[in-house]
Order: sequence, then structure tokens, then C-alpha cells
Amino acid sequence: MSNIFEELQAAVINGQTAKVQEYTKSALEAGETPQAILNEGLIPAMSTVGEKFQKGEFYISEMMISARAMYGGLNIVKPLLSNQNIQSKGKAVVGTVQGDLHDIGKNLVCMMMEGGGYEVIDLGVNITPDQFVSAIQQHKPDFVLMSALLTTTMTAMEKTINAIKDNGLRECVLIAVGGAPVTQKFADQIGADFFASDAGEAVTKANSLLEQLN
Amino acid sequence: MTPRERVLTALRRGQPDRVPWMENDIEEALQVQIMGKADFTPAELCEKLGLSAFGAHYPMGTVADGQGLVTKETYKESYYYPNKLTFDFFPPWIAKMGKDPETGRTYIEKGLLVSDESLVLFDEFLPDPHHPARYERVAEWIKTYRKDFAVFARIRLGAASTIESMGLDEFSYAQVDNPDLIYKVHQRFSEWSAQVVDHLNEMDIDFLWANDDLAGNHGPFMSPKVFRELMLPNMKIVADRIKKPWIFHSDGNLFPIMEDLLSLGMTAVHPIQPCAMDIGRMKKEYGKRVCIVGNIDLDYTLPLGTEEEVDAEVKNRIQTAGPGGGYIISSANSLTDYCKLENVLAMSKAIKKYGKYPLEG
Repeated sequence: MSNIFEELQAAVINGQTAKVQEYTKSALEAGETPQAILNEGLIPAMSTVGEKFQKGEFYISEMMISARAMYGGLNIVKPLLSNQNIQSKGKAVVGTVQGDLHDIGKNLVCMMMEGGGYEVIDLGVNITPDQFVSAIQQHKPDFVLMSALLTTTMTAMEKTINAIKDNGLRECVLIAVGGAPVTQKFADQIGADFFASDAGEAVTKANSLLEQLN
Repeated sequence: MTPRERVLTALRRGQPDRVPWMENDIEEALQVQIMGKADFTPAELCEKLGLSAFGAHYPMGTVADGQGLVTKETYKESYYYPNKLTFDFFPPWIAKMGKDPETGRTYIEKGLLVSDESLVLFDEFLPDPHHPARYERVAEWIKTYRKDFAVFARIRLGAASTIESMGLDEFSYAQVDNPDLIYKVHQRFSEWSAQVVDHLNEMDIDFLWANDDLAGNHGPFMSPKVFRELMLPNMKIVADRIKKPWIFHSDGNLFPIMEDLLSLGMTAVHPIQPCAMDIGRMKKEYGKRVCIVGNIDLDYTLPLGTEEEVDAEVKNRIQTAGPGGGYIISSANSLTDYCKLENVLAMSKAIKKYGKYPLEG
């Protein structure tokens, strides 16, 4: 790995947006491809951030500061990637389920998934089963990621999975659930494909499922 | 012992005759379900369930809801002249509020304290902490309703107000861009609460309950270093003024900052969410320094579990945290309107069954 990527990673992890922008531009000027900047700079940096969070070395604020820095670079390389018609690793539709207006957890998942190299369609909060179904039809994602903070709204996750089934789309997507009251047991009960206890784990589990499929 | 003596003994980490039960909040719709009517006194609700203390808010014959939509236009007047029974002394969120039309629940759409310029909003939003009206009304209510129960008032030390009124994203970014802004926002909220506390100290209130959510399941929202530098000194402004027993409340895993928190000198810590903190560890490591309140699960057991599961959990918690006293049983947050009524009643029954000292087993 060249030095510029090491510096880029460190700047993302330390949450230094201006430095991330500067190193991203320098890397491009030095002839590095946008793909390399993503794969060798931004993505591994956010993966380290996710690991640090899981180990209790990083806290939510630090994860958000790192994510903001990551976007400093991502926003520069994203248009270049689409110009070159380079496909993302996968596509994820993300939303907080019907009846639930909490967005912090969902936003963190969006940030970490984007930082993990995925294209993210953020549907927002209070998303009905029909809205999830329409989003699947429109965007054809690989993943549907649902968030809930309240025990009462967890039931909307099951309703959404049923709506996806009823519309014949269940085999088209991998479904994940997460949020403070959500557990692996609950995910199994409602027939989700996986459960993530935090935003970093959503990325690592999505990665390993994709690897298994390929 | 009277319920009040029971609570005060446990708060002092003593062993009462029974493990006391109290709740930081019981949502009004659930209160109405429990009582079968909207017009009842706090003491009647305590008697019905076996609670030892009351505070928070009660519908008193009005339409049961939360605490109403907090807007700067209406907050000051409704703060001075509450239209229903309340023992809360919270500053408003300085935020754009939304309301879910279906459930009526209010939520914060966006924090408004995002720059040095926005600090002028404090003057628009914060009520006068010395306005006598609310204190007079609450004093009257305490006199009328207290009977043998302990009475608490809820306050904030300012941490939750800061995080919510900045928004977690802006609060996070400001840690690197403008840490001084966090300090200043927190200081304003804390100074307001400290002035409120001066009045509450003089009232016939048994203890204060400081609600300051600052953690998630994994740990505090901010690093222990940021907590120590920007939050703790301001929380101390309020803590140092409290002359009564007091409980600190924050959801989530507080272990990474527990030593810092305990330096504030609280009497008890609540709610020890089982998904985030192990109450056995809490009792073992901190039970000699602080009373423990809480730990009956609100993610599964109370809203979704069976009466048998509630019974088993109450038994387990009393066996784990009850020995030697210094434990007050409570849900791991509050009794929300999505708890099953039969489970709340099962909790009441189980506490009576297993809570008598000397404890069984």
C-alpha cells in the first residue's frame, strides 16, 4: 500500500475532513484511480472505525466524525466512479420502519454502508411496508435494511417482510434488521436473513453474505 | 415501614422491610388502563400497584397523553401554569419538534443550537427558573396527595438537553469543530437547572430524579475524554447544588464512564438496561457506593413476554441486586403504554411475592 492511502486512512479514522479531501485530490493527481481510493483508502478506514466501535475503543460521536471525513473523500470520487460506469459492491435500501421516527441508528447504518462501498438508498423514517416494496421494485437492491428503536414498532418489520413476500420479491433481496430492542432471536422469528447489533456489523455481515453468494 | 421510609432506606443503601418499587414515568394511557379511569390521584395509582413513590405526571381526568408538544410559543406559559398534574422541572428541548399524527407522540425533528449565533434562542425558549407559579402548584399537590409515599421531582443535569438541542450529529461534529459551543450550551442548561434545584431543595420533596440520556447499548455517545472535559464539569454545577438524595438516569451502557459519573455524588443510578448493563456486575462493583434502581426489561419482557417470564425476571433481579438492600426495583426505563397491562400487574404481584426481607434463597 502506498503512503498516500495510509495517510488517507489515518485522516478518515481521525475524522479530519479537510485532510481527507486534500489526500483524495493528491491521490487523483498522482494517478490513482477513484476505485483504488475507495478500496484502499476510504473503505478500509471505515472498516477500522467499525471494528474500533465494536471493541469499545470508539464511541458513536467518533464514528459520526469519521463518517463525515469519509464523505469528504467519497463526494470527490463518487462522480468520477459513475462517469466510469463503475458498479458499487452492492445496493442497499435502508429505512426506519412504520410508526418509528428515530433516525440516528438508521443514519449510522447508511454512513457505514456507504463507507463500506455500497450504494445506499435512504428512505428515511416511518416507512410503510408498501414503501419498502416500491423501493425494491424501483431500485432493485441487494439488501433491505430495517431499523426500529421501539419494541412496538418491531412488529412493522415482520409486516414489511410479509409484504415483500406477498409481492413476490422475497428471493430478490437479503433482509436485515437492527435497532436497540432487536435481537438475533427476533430476526430469526420473523424470517430476516441477518441481524446486526450495530452499524459496523451491518457492513461486515453484508460483506460476508455477498461473499457466500458469489 | 411506610412506602416513603422504604424508599429512603434503600436510597441510603440500607435494607428496608421490602424491596421498594417505583417508576421514573408511567405513560398516561397505561395509567388509565391500570386504573380503569382517567380521574385518580397519584397515591391511588401507588396503592393499586404497590409503588412506593410518585412523581412525573398524571392525567387527573384530562385526556391521557405524553407531555404535550413543546414549542417555544407555548412552553413558558404551560411550564408556569401546567394544566395537569406534573412534578417535572425540565427545560424545553431547543429544537424543531414534530408530532406523529397517529400516535400523538412528539419527537425532535432537528436541534436548533448549532452555532454561537443560535445561543440567543435560550432567551426565547427557557422559562424563568424563579417564576413562583409552578413551585406553588406543585407544593399544593404534594400537600394534597403525598400520604405515606415518597415524592420525587424530575430534573435534568443538562447533558441530554445539550445533545438533543444540538442534535447528535452537530453535537458530534462540534467536538472537533467547536468544542466551546458544546460547553457553552451545556453550561446554560446546567445553570438553569441549578437555579430550579435551589427552589426544589426548599420543598417537601424526598428526592430528585435527573434524566440525562447520554448513552446507547454499546456505551456513551461521546468518548470518556469528551464526557470528562465538556459534560461532567457542567453536570457538576447542578449536582453540587442538590441537597436531597438524587437518582441519575441514563439509558444505555454507562460502565465506560461510571467512575466519572459517580464523582457527581448521586445517591442512585437508574435504569441499568439489561441489554446494555449486567446488574450482577453493577451490584458487585458499585453496589457499596450507590443504590441501584431498575433492570426489568422493557425491550421484550414487559411489552412482549408472558406473565410467567415477568415473574421469573422479578425473582431473578431481587435475588441478584436485592441482598443487603440498596436496590429499588423498576422497569429498565419507564412503564410505556406499549407494556402489556397483565405484565405490569404480574410485576406488581411478583414484587410482593419475592421482595420481602429477609429474601428467600
